[in-house]
Amino acid sequence: MINLQDIRDTARDLLASGEVRAVIGFRSGSRGMAAEPAFITRPEEADELVWDPTCFHNLALYLVEDRKFQAHARANPAAPIAVVAKGCDARAIVVLLQEHYFKRDQVYIIGVSCEGSGVLDERKLAGHLNGFPATSAAFDGDDFVFVTAQGEQRLPAREVMAERCLECREPYPREHNVVLGENRSGRELALPFAALTRFEAQSPAERWEFWQRHFERCIRCYACRSVCPMCFCDECVVDSITYPVTAETTAEEKANRVRWIERSATRSENITYHMTRAMHLAGRCVDCGECERVCPVNIPLRLLNNKMEREARERFGYEPGASIGGPSLVASFRDDDPGQFIR
Amino acid sequence: MEKILHKERLDDWIAALSDREILSPALEDGVWAFRPAGAAVRLDYPNTTQPPKGLAFPQREVFFSFEQVKGEAPLLRQTLPQVAQRVVFGVRPCDGRAVPRMDKVFSDHVEDPYYWARRKQVAYVGLACQQPPSSNCFCQSVGGSPVSSDGLDVLLTDLGERYFAAAVSETGKALMMAGESLFEAATDADRAQLQGAHAAALARPQRAVRDPDALPSKLKASFDSPLWEELARACIGCGICTFLCPTCHCFDINDEVTGAAPLKGKRVRTWDTCQFPDFTMHTSGHNPRENSGARLRQRVSHKFQYFHENFAMHQCTGCGRCVTGCPVGIDIVSVVNKVAEHAG
Ligand code: SF4
Ligand code: SF4
Ligand code: SF4
Ligand code: SF4
Ligand code: SF4
Repeated sequence: MINLQDIRDTARDLLASGEVRAVIGFRSGSRGMAAEPAFITRPEEADELVWDPTCFHNLALYLVEDRKFQAHARANPAAPIAVVAKGCDARAIVVLLQEHYFKRDQVYIIGVSCEGSGVLDERKLAGHLNGFPATSAAFDGDDFVFVTAQGEQRLPAREVMAERCLECREPYPREHNVVLGENRSGRELALPFAALTRFEAQSPAERWEFWQRHFERCIRCYACRSVCPMCFCDECVVDSITYPVTAETTAEEKANRVRWIERSATRSENITYHMTRAMHLAGRCVDCGECERVCPVNIPLRLLNNKMEREARERFGYEPGASIGGPSLVASFRDDDPGQFIR
Repeated sequence: MEKILHKERLDDWIAALSDREILSPALEDGVWAFRPAGAAVRLDYPNTTQPPKGLAFPQREVFFSFEQVKGEAPLLRQTLPQVAQRVVFGVRPCDGRAVPRMDKVFSDHVEDPYYWARRKQVAYVGLACQQPPSSNCFCQSVGGSPVSSDGLDVLLTDLGERYFAAAVSETGKALMMAGESLFEAATDADRAQLQGAHAAALARPQRAVRDPDALPSKLKASFDSPLWEELARACIGCGICTFLCPTCHCFDINDEVTGAAPLKGKRVRTWDTCQFPDFTMHTSGHNPRENSGARLRQRVSHKFQYFHENFAMHQCTGCGRCVTGCPVGIDIVSVVNKVAEHAG
């Protein structure tokens, strides 16, 4: 089990020695039991940090935000920024490093191993507690233990753990500056791609019906995009006016810009948005599951990204986030690539 | 008009309203949403993920279609929405209180014909809350209550085997008259039971905004506070908090072009949100609300200061959806409390 004090001590020492300029971690939130992202810059704030199965967020996102902020401010800070990273978060950082989003010495990775506990799925939990809120969650090695107004409740991990954690192959952050917790394999409660395999057993007509039904509901809040550390483009096809406007851009150019996807949240536009995003994540998505977690209308986005992930693995033996030095999927070529057209 | 309706007669009342479209909460794919009810109305729900706002202000509204042959004058065809009369069951009191607020927005200075074409066709049948449906409810802090009938046409209160049905508007009276024989007269004993149920509902603890009356002036004083940036540090700029809000009403207008020769298409209004980074982007590239702090300040100040200055009421009804839905835990209750505390 990870000792919370170790996380706090690490953060405090790093800040006190000036080795890092800030630490991105988790602290308790004011809404229910879920932890929230915390940004601390002073050693005495280290005691605010927490670590429990409600630390869902992939904090690699805030490294991207920090980079954008620094670029905008034309700052070039000497010290790196530290981040608390689970296995999947560390894989996301590796993809960002592979893509040269920032340099290795600009980030200090405080790795924390999930050691087989993973994080909770709030929707699964809500189903089990019949809508009554829990005030805290812990993992005791077998079960999750919740405190509710009705007393303590134990639930087996399989029933309330996030799907991606059930299928997780690497809960240990391989890339790190310092790491807390043991290097244990996943719980193997489910085989990799278990949910996708179940889904794909259906006929194409059933699957099409499934996606149509789900995407009909999308409200295009773009939370799935905003939360994804891999969705870092300055210009996104779905935005109205983020394309570069310079003094030379004419009114005509602004007005006649090609719009690939309309703003209307209709089924066809929604599907186009999600297909576009899935393609942009091929070989990059690390299955942190954040897009699916944040969706306010419960669209099973993970299935879509898992499909791309499995294609990359089966066709090219490619695993996103495996090594910083390795090539990225879409920017590399091998003689034994199966596609004939490329030769 | 105050009547009693036995629960097993609810579906008969629905049948008596068959010339109208009936909607009620339904659980689909893990999401509670207002859906065509068919024969059976479900009222055993916590609250819907989205409020019934979209019935009057849908996420997509077509204003007109256009067609232009090169060199000729464009042809415009206005498309006012043609909707049947609708009755939406299971509206929570916080969402009821959103209705007069939205009405104000869409009639101040100019009456919005699209909004009103839909709005006039909707009747709201509310259900008083016995328990706060979410741990993030705070309607009482913002002048509402779990048994408020503000904005509703009929308010139902669950009395166990029966509903106490109170008509609040003429529309509500007409709805109850349509099923007249199904209702029984309410007795003094029923009224006493109703009062007991309401008193119990009011006594259940909720989250609290401290001193909401002082918020407009405190927010005004806090415009330049560095606190905004700190509080919004984790915000990812998704629109969840606004897209789920019963009173958020910002929109964008675009032409959806479907053909070039002749030039053809539709002008549509879609929801937009102050939380999207490009919401206030100027064509020059300058953005006056440059960071998430400025955007959080806009959302919160609109709810508790600007709206109050314009219409003498808070725009937030305390439904708690923005708190529950925010993926990174930004919580409007603790935000206003912290800002107010800072303002002294
Ligand atoms: S997916 Fe793996 S690394 Fe990520 S939170 Fe779950 S168990 Fe931990
Ligand atoms: S988070 Fe959900 S509702 Fe929002 S854009 Fe993504 S899929 Fe659509
Ligand atoms: S697409 Fe979803 S699962 Fe993949 S990296 Fe982005 S947020 Fe994580
Ligand atoms: S601001 Fe939040 S709590 Fe207030 S009405 Fe809107 S969604 Fe509900
Ligand atoms: S406050 Fe929360 S819900 Fe609203 S835009 Fe920010 S992250 Fe999204």
